[in-house]
Amino acid sequence: MITAATYPQQFGGREVVSAWTGVVRHLHITPRAFLPMESFDQLTLVAGKGIEGDRYMIGRESGFYSHKPEEGRQVTLFEIETLEALARDAKIQMLPEEHRRNVTVQGVPLNHLVGRRFWVGETLLEATRLSTPCRHIEEILGKAVFDPLINRSGLNCRILTGGIIRVGDAVREA
Amino acid sequence: MPKAIKHLQAVVREIDEPLPGIKRLVLADQDGWRLPAFRPGAHIDLHLANGLVRTYSLCNDPADCRRYVVAVKREDGGRGGSRHIHDELRSGQVIGVSVPRSGLELLSTGMNIFVAGGIGVTPFVSAILALEREGQSNYQLHWASMGEPSLIDMLEPAVQGGRVHLYNTLEASPPDIRSIVEGSGPDAKAFCCGPTGMLDAFESAVAEWPESRKHVERFTAPRLAPSLNAQPYSVVLARSGREMEVRPEVGLLATLEAMDADISVSCAGGICGACRTRWTEGPPIHHDRVLSAQERAHEVIVCVAECAGPRLVLDL
Repeated sequence: MITAATYPQQFGGREVVSAWTGVVRHLHITPRAFLPMESFDQLTLVAGKGIEGDRYMIGRESGFYSHKPEEGRQVTLFEIETLEALARDAKIQMLPEEHRRNVTVQGVPLNHLVGRRFWVGETLLEATRLSTPCRHIEEILGKAVFDPLINRSGLNCRILTGGIIRVGDAVREA
Repeated sequence: MPKAIKHLQAVVREIDEPLPGIKRLVLADQDGWRLPAFRPGAHIDLHLANGLVRTYSLCNDPADCRRYVVAVKREDGGRGGSRHIHDELRSGQVIGVSVPRSGLELLSTGMNIFVAGGIGVTPFVSAILALEREGQSNYQLHWASMGEPSLIDMLEPAVQGGRVHLYNTLEASPPDIRSIVEGSGPDAKAFCCGPTGMLDAFESAVAEWPESRKHVERFTAPRLAPSLNAQPYSVVLARSGREMEVRPEVGLLATLEAMDADISVSCAGGICGACRTRWTEGPPIHHDRVLSAQERAHEVIVCVAECAGPRLVLDL
């Protein structure tokens, strides 16, 4: 869902043009490592902490990678276009609840956002790094998704401004 | 820093004893969250409090993924897992549970022939519950047991439908496996789980069948995929001098974890670099996508590596 919203920004000493506005398509959390992600219509994001009820909420520490604390992993995003590419190019059907990121978006160039801030509904996020695929997902799913997800496995973010996000919320640059 | 979480934590919700010597456990998430999905006939590992790890077939309907049900026969002469479950495990306790793995590839149209001995019926119980739920009757269960069968209460519709053939070997002959499989037709698929003698008889009876039409359940760990012609070697932790054999079917990473080596593992697929480790003797066989040729001369990504020589010495 790319719209005609265009505006310049200063980046790396040169002017660049952004031309995207995305939308939240799915929201998922799970309370503990290995358990399936479940879908919600809305989630509550807590600034500096994480998502209420999710395994990586800081202080909860019940995720598969919680033994490796990461302040910039409060919420994770994933492109729905990657799921479409997996089906098209690798013939792998992967559902939104299977990639194990929290927010599935459409029309958002996640790989371009590292180090940048953007709005998801009323919440402000800052992208910290690209997510990397892991064998853990293959173990849980029983699907050979590791290789096809290299370089398109989503985005880790910290929450600067908390609030409630909902399916259908707009995603836009800050 | 919290410890790495290696498996699910499940609460033992119920324990009953449908027959003397058979305990049936119902496991669930502490908050009733869905558990990872499983296929008919899938297995889970139970990580018991005394450090034992034992594998059991799930025997509930795969559609019922709020719980896992396993049945455990007490084996007094066994290695201790079933005795622990029978004597020590209590309702309300929390145990580690692996993600389900494997399962049975059932025929959707041809006849599925299940041959079971005693508690070996468990993988077929979940398969039959799945078939019955889907309204399919293209199966027959031939089930031998010494006395009363143990989980018959889970197969009521199948029994009523005449699709279960019971053989009480205390009173009658065991099933004639060869005649069962030979009479099942050219499109049937045959499955067997039971004691060694039954498995041997089954394998003999279906020796000429194509692999796609037979399945033997032996409760062995899933095989990894080592390189062709891979040989065992020793891994040595240089700082402590500890040494352990790395068998190809186990692999280096699982061996290091078994040694409780001080490694950090993340992707387990050779791309994140979290487990890069210096080596001094080998040489390693590198399968990662992290290290340059120069780096490989003294470092190795242990999660995907093998060894070309008899010893791999790591700076750990």
